Amino acid sequence: MTSPNPSPAIRSSLAAQRGAVAALALHVVLLVLVLGQIVYLGSRFHRRFDLTADRLSTVSGSTRTIVDKLDKRLVVEAYFSPKDKLPVNLRQTREVLDNFLDELVQIGKGKVVVQRFDPNEDKAISDRCTRIGVQPLDLRSQSSTSLSVDRHWQGLRFVYGGQKQKVVPQVAPGHWFLAEVQLTPAIKEVATEQKRKLGFMEWPATAVGQQSPGGIGWNMLRTHEQIQKRFEFQNFKDEDGALLPDDLDTLFLFRPKDLTDRQKYVLDQFLLRGGTLVVFADAAEYAIGPNRLFTKLPLALDAAGSERRFTDQLAAYGVDWKPKVLADMATQAHTPRDRLSQPFEYLAVPQMTPFGQQMSSVFYPYFFHAVAADWAGSAEQLATRDGKVDKAIAEAYRREFKAGMPTDDFLLKVFKQIGRGPGFYWPTWVGLRERAPGVPDLPAGVSGRVVLWSSPAVLAEDPPQSLDPLGRGDARARVASLQKFQQRLMERFQSEPRQQAPLMVDVRGTFPSFFAGAPRPKRPSEIKEEAGRAEAKAAGEEEPDAAETPPDAMGPPPPKAKEAGDEAAPPAAEAEPLQQALRPGRIVMIGDSDFVRDDLVRGDHRQGGGPWSSLGPVFFAQLLDWLAEDQDLLELQSRVPVDRKLKFVDGDPVAAGDPRLAEQALRAKTTWLRTLNVVVPIGLLALFGLAVLLVRRAQKRSFLTSLAG
Amino acid sequence: MRESLVIFRRELKSYFYSPIAYVFGVLFLGVLLYHSVELLTNGVQANMQGFFLMLPYVLLFFLPVLTMRLWAEERKLGTIELLMTFPVRVSQLVAGKFLAALVFLAFLLLLTLGLPLTMHAFGGIDWPPVLGMYLASLLFAGSFVAVGMFFSSLTRDQIVASLSSIVTLFVLHRIGEPATIELANAWMPAMLVDLLSGISPHRYFLSIARGVLDTRDLLYFACFCGFFLYCNALVLQHRRQKG
Repeated sequence: MTSPNPSPAIRSSLAAQRGAVAALALHVVLLVLVLGQIVYLGSRFHRRFDLTADRLSTVSGSTRTIVDKLDKRLVVEAYFSPKDKLPVNLRQTREVLDNFLDELVQIGKGKVVVQRFDPNEDKAISDRCTRIGVQPLDLRSQSSTSLSVDRHWQGLRFVYGGQKQKVVPQVAPGHWFLAEVQLTPAIKEVATEQKRKLGFMEWPATAVGQQSPGGIGWNMLRTHEQIQKRFEFQNFKDEDGALLPDDLDTLFLFRPKDLTDRQKYVLDQFLLRGGTLVVFADAAEYAIGPNRLFTKLPLALDAAGSERRFTDQLAAYGVDWKPKVLADMATQAHTPRDRLSQPFEYLAVPQMTPFGQQMSSVFYPYFFHAVAADWAGSAEQLATRDGKVDKAIAEAYRREFKAGMPTDDFLLKVFKQIGRGPGFYWPTWVGLRERAPGVPDLPAGVSGRVVLWSSPAVLAEDPPQSLDPLGRGDARARVASLQKFQQRLMERFQSEPRQQAPLMVDVRGTFPSFFAGAPRPKRPSEIKEEAGRAEAKAAGEEEPDAAETPPDAMGPPPPKAKEAGDEAAPPAAEAEPLQQALRPGRIVMIGDSDFVRDDLVRGDHRQGGGPWSSLGPVFFAQLLDWLAEDQDLLELQSRVPVDRKLKFVDGDPVAAGDPRLAEQALRAKTTWLRTLNVVVPIGLLALFGLAVLLVRRAQKRSFLTSLAG
Repeated sequence: MRESLVIFRRELKSYFYSPIAYVFGVLFLGVLLYHSVELLTNGVQANMQGFFLMLPYVLLFFLPVLTMRLWAEERKLGTIELLMTFPVRVSQLVAGKFLAALVFLAFLLLLTLGLPLTMHAFGGIDWPPVLGMYLASLLFAGSFVAVGMFFSSLTRDQIVASLSSIVTLFVLHRIGEPATIELANAWMPAMLVDLLSGISPHRYFLSIARGVLDTRDLLYFACFCGFFLYCNALVLQHRRQKG
């Protein structure tokens, strides 16, 4: 029992205890304060190190370059709801966004200012958001007693130099590099004075069994939001063959066909004035209808009545287009990137498996890609016949064969990372004009290079009437048809010499005119006019006044009306034909147009088993920057994580032999590796423990023995 | 410093001489690796994130078992009085024990290197983030050890120490998880939720685990460990003064 009046000693002891507890509490409080201060200071002055090889959590060189180029102040107005009111998923994206904006301010060195506004707090701010185009995100919030809709804001407005602006209505990046991919182009767009103008002429593919009466073009990529932000495409396909305007520096030809001499002349003059001609070419047009019978549709490169062939014209510039269809027999070249989850990148058929109906890719080497491999290294393997290496042939192959992607241009950077190029569909041969195999024969002042090569196992043929591997009929008939198709190709592969086909070529220089010394082809309207004149003359009438010439919408200004009394002057016409190049021009020719066509890019045929141009859009986007030599966004577009897929078996396990055996072998190896990874560390630890135990026991025994002794 | 090293060596030896540590190690590795080998699947990306995302949960239930004995056992066996008579400061005792536990854990984590090595052999792994994740795991484990040691110093009953650690660590871990934050938002003031989630090691661990080493995250772990170790030292100092 405690005495009501404790002795002074006890009182002093209790006071000491209370003092000690108070001191402890004070210590802890002070500690929390000090640590809080440290954490606060640490968060103000911090550094971060991105350890990933792909630097996916670091501002790329692209963003740095774009921010460095800002010569006016960029104000980033962030219309953000308070972080603590956001749902969790959005909160995480806010963290990413905040980090990115902080980094932007840091690298901006005063040129980038971030202003934050809370639209939830002030009605005037939310009204402003609505006015400028920042969109709210209405999310349902549910608790045990209520259901409500919460309005969240997470949008940005970039204001450059106080005038130009760009609004990002909503932004919720899940990862740092996604924030960068979304926001850096927006910064570039607001800081760039104007869009780049690009011209095009298209000859859409015939739509079979589909609702596209105008044919299948390449609108999808041209009108893609990200592309439209930076480039302005304009159709210059003029039935009257007007010359192209001087301010146009790049012209795309999508699947040229039925070209008149006048159109060829227009292209010739464009090149001679220093233009860049980009051609997506096809030797043939195959229908991809609902049944995917791959039947050839009529296609003529030159229009009826054309006296000059388009292939000759290209050859005059140094480009060799052999209008043949290619098939690449190398397995790496025609295997889809992800044959398990996306077999429809090339050609797949539905197949019954123990897990239900699944798509399974089938052998179809007419759809393939360039492989990032040095094919000279495979010379011996390719020169092996009946188990013996023909050394002379191997040596020749070693000299002859090139790498699939022989350049280090940024166009191919991302593709080299994944080890392959974009998929091409019934591609054709486009290379350099050669005087002998491997010896280019380019016009004076012109240089060129092949940018993409097939593997050395390519077969070239004149476009056959059908390239359907499966045919119609029941499953058995289709398998038989496929085997026959495969056998036919294998026989050709065995009998034909090995060759590599160029798939893309880049030629530049001062091109000679294909029409040098020849009269310029007349425009249809001129021909019509002349015919009219001839008729009138024949009828004894006067010639029509030049002022009545129909106005030309696309070409140069129409001839001016003649002054009175100036009857002797010749009728004003378009510019005199150039015989020599004024400036260096450029031709980039790709031996395929299908990889950019709408239905393949959109993936219309995926359900049926393909094809689907999964990498076509990436290649096209890269191509635009490559042509523009705009390296600002280079790193941004190349930010694709390196493919590090686990491969427990070499090559293609299914193609190698019996799929069931391959599957079994794979399963066995997987189990073995997994077991090893569990058992070995545990076993090592247990063995180590056992060893320690034994040593200790021995030490103990010897100690006891020494004591006994 | 030398004194801390002496304590550290003594403690480390005790781990390796104790069969309990091996049982702990075998179970820890067994559970962790058994659930992580799914990452070794043909055709999937060589990535250790699955392993590191599971690690906190395994540590959550295993570490308190390791740390419960650190002080509680000394008290139970009466060796703490002996320890307190050593000519060393309490902070040095705490540091020695903490470092020994951390090194033992590092040893166990080292034994899991087979997994990334296998991935490297069959797919090529991005090593710097993996090493960063190992560092994050060690820091994370360190913060758990600090909490466990603190609770071990409060009681002589190892079960109580272990359970208190598990509950505290579980709460600390959960409050940093998105689902918990979402739930807490419904009935807690937002500022408090933000503060609590800011304390949780989980979010800082995730930050390092995604491959970015931020000085803020490192500072957080240093402060978190420092706080609990300091509290631990205060408790022991208080006890030493009480005699």
